Amino acid sequence: MQHRPSGFGNPWLQLGLSVFCVFVSELLLKRGATDVAEPDSAFSWTGINGLESPLVWLAILLIIASFVSWLYVLRYVPLTLAYPLSRVVDVLVPLGCWIFLGERISTLRWCGIALVVVGLAVVAKPVAQMEERL
Amino acid sequence: MTFLAFFLIVVSLLSFVVAQLVLKRAMEISRGTSLRNPQIIWLVTVGVVLMTISFFITLGLLQRFDLSYLYPFQGLSVIFITLTAAVVLKEKLSLRLIVGAVLISAGIVLVSMS
Repeated sequence: MQHRPSGFGNPWLQLGLSVFCVFVSELLLKRGATDVAEPDSAFSWTGINGLESPLVWLAILLIIASFVSWLYVLRYVPLTLAYPLSRVVDVLVPLGCWIFLGERISTLRWCGIALVVVGLAVVAKPVAQMEERL
Repeated sequence: MTFLAFFLIVVSLLSFVVAQLVLKRAMEISRGTSLRNPQIIWLVTVGVVLMTISFFITLGLLQRFDLSYLYPFQGLSVIFITLTAAVVLKEKLSLRLIVGAVLISAGIVLVSMS
C-alpha cells in the first residue's frame, strides 16, 4: 500500500463511495425489476426485460460509478482485504430492504447481520492499526 | 427453488469471482505502466464482460425472488475471492483474514436461510 494518495484519492474513501453506490443500486434494481416483472415469460430469465425500467438504468449508472472507484481501490489495496471489507454492503442491503422496501427481517436474519459485522471488524482491525502507524 | 434457478445462481457467482481476480490483476499491472497498455485493456474488458453476464443473470433472478433472499448467495464470494486471491494472485493471507472472511460468509448465509 505504498505511495497511497490522500484526500479524495484516498483508497479507503473510494471504497466507501463504491460500497454506497452498490447499496443504492441494489435497492433500485429490486424496485425496478419488480416493476416490470413478467414471471410467465421465459425470456425474462435473461433479465434483459429489466431494462424497461428507468430505475434499472439509474442503478446501472451507479454500478458504473462504483466500478470505477473499485478499480481505483484495487490499484492500492490487496483483494484479500478490500473484498471482505466491501461486503459491509451485505449489512446495508438487508437494512435497506427493511427500511425502504418493507421486507421483513426475522431474528435469525438479524443474527446473520450481526455475524457479518463481527467478521468485518475482525478484517478491519489490522487496517485501522496500519493507518494509525502511518 | 428449481434446478435452473440454482444453476443460474452458481454461474452468476462464478463469473463474478473470476471477474474480480481478473480486474485485480489488471490494476496490479497498471501500477507499473500506462492504463493504455493492451494487456490492461484486455483484462479489464474480460472483467467487465464477466460482471455484465453476472449482472443480467441476477436481474432475471430478482424478478422471481426477494432481494434479501438472493443477495446473500453473493456472500459465499467472500470466501472464494479471499482464497483464490491468495492462491492465484499470491496475496498474503493471515489467519485473521480467513477468520474474518468465514464470519462474514457465515453471517450472509445465515441471512439467506432465515
